[in-house]
Amino acid sequence: MAKQFGVSDEALAGLNDPERFPFPPEEGVALRFADAMTDDPAGVSDELFAELRRHWSEPQIVEIACVIGLFNYFNRFNNALHMEITLTDPEVLLHRVRKAAEEHAGVSELCDRTAEILAQGRRYVLVGIYQRQGEMMVLRAYRGPAPPHSSFRLGEGNAAVAGRTGATPSELAVPVRDPSGIHGVIDVESDRPAGFGEEDRALVEAVAAILAPALAGPAA
Amino acid sequence: MGRISRLSPDQVAPEIKALYKQFLAERGNVPNMFRTVAHRPALLTTLLAHFREVMGPGTVPVPLKEMLAVRVSRLNDCDY
Repeated sequence: MAKQFGVSDEALAGLNDPERFPFPPEEGVALRFADAMTDDPAGVSDELFAELRRHWSEPQIVEIACVIGLFNYFNRFNNALHMEITLTDPEVLLHRVRKAAEEHAGVSELCDRTAEILAQGRRYVLVGIYQRQGEMMVLRAYRGPAPPHSSFRLGEGNAAVAGRTGATPSELAVPVRDPSGIHGVIDVESDRPAGFGEEDRALVEAVAAILAPALAGPAA
Repeated sequence: MGRISRLSPDQVAPEIKALYKQFLAERGNVPNMFRTVAHRPALLTTLLAHFREVMGPGTVPVPLKEMLAVRVSRLNDCDY
């Protein structure tokens, strides 16, 4: 969600280790306050608080502390009650992919939008969309870790694309085809064993059907 | 499996159903946490109002508030 509120990919990655990422000072001190207030709220030091004051007014500090407090509330509630990650309804995602197919003339752009829709909506750790060019399958778009190879030879099966995340608890590869043949493949991976249900299979197959006309055309 | 059941749109009162609809329109789903809190409609209504006030435009930039939320959730090992 954070991305759509103007947080860059770099900053999101930097949040894993804020001490090393060059956040501006006013953001850096707010993040250190978040760490301290989450780890040991009674132990927030006077030094840290004085620094927070140098950058933020009292109403702003109240707002920052409310954000940190609210998410500690949500996280504890969700962790203790074993809350499952919310997945977006396949119908909603299919509607988005159809819209993208109508709006985007270029194959690359359509594949990129589709990879984003699937990765965001279903929390797949990896999405790769390949287009067939002769005897090769060529990577058109992906989300997740960068694949080591941008193409693989037809007939090598999906062994060439599988296992890119290292340990791959589960993978689903669906051909993109129409009556004239196979035009590509959509490969998705989950970070948990048996991570795909019937709903996911049906979703990725339906997405493949939507992409078929575009991938059957010339590689753009 | 979540430890507490989640209420579907046909299991909730009309005013909660309207909240569900708003989420569906905004983001394509109704977060499982909110469908769980829906067991206590008054808590869901006030929780959402507070959530929107805290995370929406205020005196601190919204992107920073999103980053704080992500950082706290990572510290708490909550990938929800």
